[in-house]
Parts: sequence; C-alpha cells; structure tokens
Amino acid sequence: MAPVMRDSVAPNHAEQGTAPLMEGICLCKRFGKVTALEGVDIVIRRGEVTGLVGDNGAGKSTLIKILTGVYRPDEGELRFEGQRVEFASPKDARRLGIETVYQDLALIENMSIARNFFLGAEPQRKVGILNLLDVRKMRLVTEEALKDIGIAVRSANDEVSVLSGGERQAIAIGRTMHFGGKLLILDEPTSALSVHETNKVLTYIDEVRKRGLAVIFITHNLYHVYPVADRIVVLEHGRKVGDFAKDEISVDELVQIVSYGAQRVARSARQQ
Amino acid sequence: MRIKALLGHREVGVAVALVVVYVVFMSMKKEFLSAGTLGDIVTVAAELGTVAVGVSFLMIAGEMDLSVGSNFALTCMLLAMFITRFSWNPYLAFVVVLACAAGIGALNGLVTLSARIPSFITTLGAMMFWRGVALYLTQGWPISVFADVPLLRWLGGAKVYHTFHISAVWWLIIGAVFWVTLQKTAYGNWVFATGGKRAAARALGVPDTRVKLVNFILAGVMAGLAGCLQLGRMGSMSPVWGQDLPLEAIAAAVVGGNSLNGGVGSILGAMLGAVTMASIRIGLVMVGAPAYWYMAFVGFIVVAAVALNVRLGEVISWHR
Repeated sequence: MAPVMRDSVAPNHAEQGTAPLMEGICLCKRFGKVTALEGVDIVIRRGEVTGLVGDNGAGKSTLIKILTGVYRPDEGELRFEGQRVEFASPKDARRLGIETVYQDLALIENMSIARNFFLGAEPQRKVGILNLLDVRKMRLVTEEALKDIGIAVRSANDEVSVLSGGERQAIAIGRTMHFGGKLLILDEPTSALSVHETNKVLTYIDEVRKRGLAVIFITHNLYHVYPVADRIVVLEHGRKVGDFAKDEISVDELVQIVSYGAQRVARSARQQ
Repeated sequence: MRIKALLGHREVGVAVALVVVYVVFMSMKKEFLSAGTLGDIVTVAAELGTVAVGVSFLMIAGEMDLSVGSNFALTCMLLAMFITRFSWNPYLAFVVVLACAAGIGALNGLVTLSARIPSFITTLGAMMFWRGVALYLTQGWPISVFADVPLLRWLGGAKVYHTFHISAVWWLIIGAVFWVTLQKTAYGNWVFATGGKRAAARALGVPDTRVKLVNFILAGVMAGLAGCLQLGRMGSMSPVWGQDLPLEAIAAAVVGGNSLNGGVGSILGAMLGAVTMASIRIGLVMVGAPAYWYMAFVGFIVVAAVALNVRLGEVISWHR
C-alpha cells in the first residue's frame, strides 16, 4: 500500500524552504472523449498559499483529485519532496501528509468536537485488558491544539452542531495541522460563510502558512483568496491559463481573466 | 449548570416516562412498588432489552433490523429442537444457534451493503423469510423442553433472588459491555461517526462498511440470545412468538433517545426504554386491565417521550 517511490530527480535542495513541496508536471486526465485536464504544471511550496481558481468545469477538482490520489493521471507525473510518487488511493496521499478539508464533509454534527478531532486516530489507554478511549487526553489535546491556532471553543465536549460554519472549518484545519499534515487542501472553505466568518477563516489559513505548511485554496471567489494567497493559478477548460505571484497581478486583472477567459483578455490587451 | 448538564442527557425523556408509569400504576395499586413486582418487570425487560440493546447499537450506526423477532423465534426454536429431537449436547447446541443468529445478522448486512438498498427493506424481507422457515420447521407447533437441562436453568430458568431471574443478570452484563464499547472505545466513536455522516467518517479512514456489518451481526446475535433467554425461562417456545418484537425493540430504543436516522443514541436509554415497556405490561396485569391495552399504552409513551426529548434538546441548545 505504500506509495511507489521512483528515481529521485531533484533531491539536493529538498531541505530548503524554497524547494517545492509538491509538483505536478504536465498532468493530463481524460474521461472518455472529454479532456478534463491537459498538460497542467503546478508547483506547491511550503509556507505558501496557492489559490486555485477557475470557473465550473475548469478542471480544479480533477487536478485536486489527482494530487490527493483519488484519480491517477493519464500522463504526467507527481513529485513530493523531490521524489516521484504514484498514489494507488487517497490513503497513500494522506500518509505523506496531504490532507483535504471538504466543506460539508469536514465534521460530524452530532459528535463532540474532541470526538471529531480524533476520529480515526483515537488515543487509547489500557485499563486491565481493555483498550479504552483516553477521553481526558482527547479533550485536553483538542482544546490545546485549537487554542494554539487561535480558535477558542467553550469546551471540546460540546457538540459540533452548536458551532458556526467558520468554527467548523477552523476545527478541521486545526485537526490537519495537529496530525502532521504538510499540504492542506481547502475546497471552497468560504463559500457558505458570512463576511465576518470568512475573515476569521482567512486568518486561520494565514496561521497555517506561518507554521510552514503548504496550502491550496480552491475557490470561485477571487476576493476571498487574493488577500491570503502567495500565488494564484488560473485554470480554464482543463488548461492552466495563468500562474502569478501575487505581486505580479492585481485582483481586478485576475477577475478579468477568470470571467472573460484568458485569450480574450490577452487579445484586448494587445489591441490597446 | 448542574441541572442543565443533567437535562442534556438523552436518557431524560425515558427516565421521566418511567417515573410517570410508576406513579400511575402505584396510585392504582400499592403493591406495584415492591421487590416482587420489580423482579417480574426486570425479567420481562431482560428479553426485550437484550434485543433493544443490539438494535440500538445498529441504529446508531445508521441501520435498522426488523428481522429480530423472527431471528428470536427461529434461534429459540432451533435450540429447543436440537436439545429435544436431536438430543444434542445443550452447550454445543447453544453455540450453534448463536452462530445461526449471527449468520442471519450477517446476511442482513451483506445484502444491505452490497445491494445498497435500505436495511428497512432487507430486514423486512428477512423478517418474513425467517418467520416462514421457523413455521415450516415446526409445522406451526410449539416445542417444549420437559427435561431438566442445566444450560436452560443457567440462561433464564434460575432465580437469583425473589422473583429476579438470572436472565436479568446476563442482560445487565450485556448492557454494560455495549455501553462501554459505545462510549469508551474507538470502535464506539466509529459507530457514531458511521451513523452520523458516513462519507465524512470514510474520508477520515473509518471502515464504515465493516462497522455496519459488525453491528448487523451483533443485532442478530442479541436477538438470538434473547430467544435463548426466553426458552431458558419458559421451557417452551412457539414459532409465532416475537412478532411484535422488532417494533417493541425499536420503540424501546427511540424512547431511550436513539434516533431513527442514526448517529445519536444511548444504550442506557434503550435499557430504560425496555424497563418502561415491561412496567406497562406488568402494571396492566396487576391492575386487572385487559392486556390488549399494552400496545395502546406503549404507543402513547413512545410519542410522548420522544416529543419530550426533542423539546428538552431545544431548551438545552437555546440556553447555551
């Protein structure tokens, strides 16, 4: 089940902060006659937030599913920490520290925060011959870990159903960080949130970046991703049509590219 | 704060219902509050409660089992047949029939999970099928065990104190094991998660399908075991017994704070639910009311207790 590691290609600068954490090189994915992704390169760095934007059907989710091991690319390769990797399943990707937070799949409402936090990785203690949940540790560690990234909860024993959408996102993010995630993929983390809640989630994302994790932030809403992003990658009809460092481009230019299509923007720029 | 924490428990509705039932019957007949009556109640509750514990555990994982009544009757009948007609070693027979009960549960699970149909449908079919099998094997006749079989005494025949049968002890032990498993183990956490939001549980690596299958099997084993407890207590069985058992078990579960939608619930609540229903059954007999009123009474209690639970839940979350 371990991911297949092949000839390491660019290992020497892997330890440096600027070395890419993950690279996708010339990724292609077809479904029958439909080409969902064609020759897309992407570079994800530690301590950077990469915004992934594009209209519906642009290929955002196909790209993410390749990075997280849900799909295998038809062409192209993935590298993680300089090593070529192939994922047989999402488990392989998770083992390397690639974690995805889906908007509505993040937490289970009827369970406590602590039970959610440790779901699938429950701490246990031996009582006689029994392996029991370490309930106390679950509560304390959860509260500690959440406080650590600036999330205040009343008690980790509260049910998730009493929390707001932003707080739920925050807890899912905190969980990923606690369990040693290296790449955090957020799928539309702000789409169902109020302005105030969105700003809170953006500060948590900022906190994640400061810890040196890489973040991919997928969204329709450029105004949400622009303030926190270091790079912005624009997809359109399965191709990468833009890859900008934030200081290279203004949010208005990006909006133009996403809403009117890269070619048309380029053409009108030439005409002017 | 203390009171609110107490009211937040899922078992509050059923505790209130139980107190109301007790007060009503006591006011009609003083003797209702006596050790002898309590023994009778707990003895009846033990058999229903064993089924209800298994059904609750499965319901929390998001599935249903309507076939527990037929499983109960078939298992109990097989045990009686193996002991009387085939003269098997009773202990061997006991193990074999429990394996059959597990098999019925496993089949429910495998069909539900592989055909991806609602367990309500699968187990409705299983309910009819296994009842038919039980009727065929006995040709509809009851079976009695006249010999003194130590196994049956151990299962339910012996009295531990006054009117308390030993089956109640087994039930309490089973209840404790299920309670600990649900509340205090990683597996229990997976059960809640699987019933609460299956896709989310799976995304975090919980083996959701396996959890459901295991719980189907456990519900089957508990139904079969309840049949054995009853055979132990009564010494005879009829293939038509336990027809109302699935609905009674589900009623005990929902009265005790379990949700039909899964993801939430309480083993203790289901056990108190079973005690409440047994109290109604015994109480009606004591006050001389026709036993037909049992179902009517239970119906009333189910709706009232669940309504109370929901209302309490709202009050609690508003005051947070």
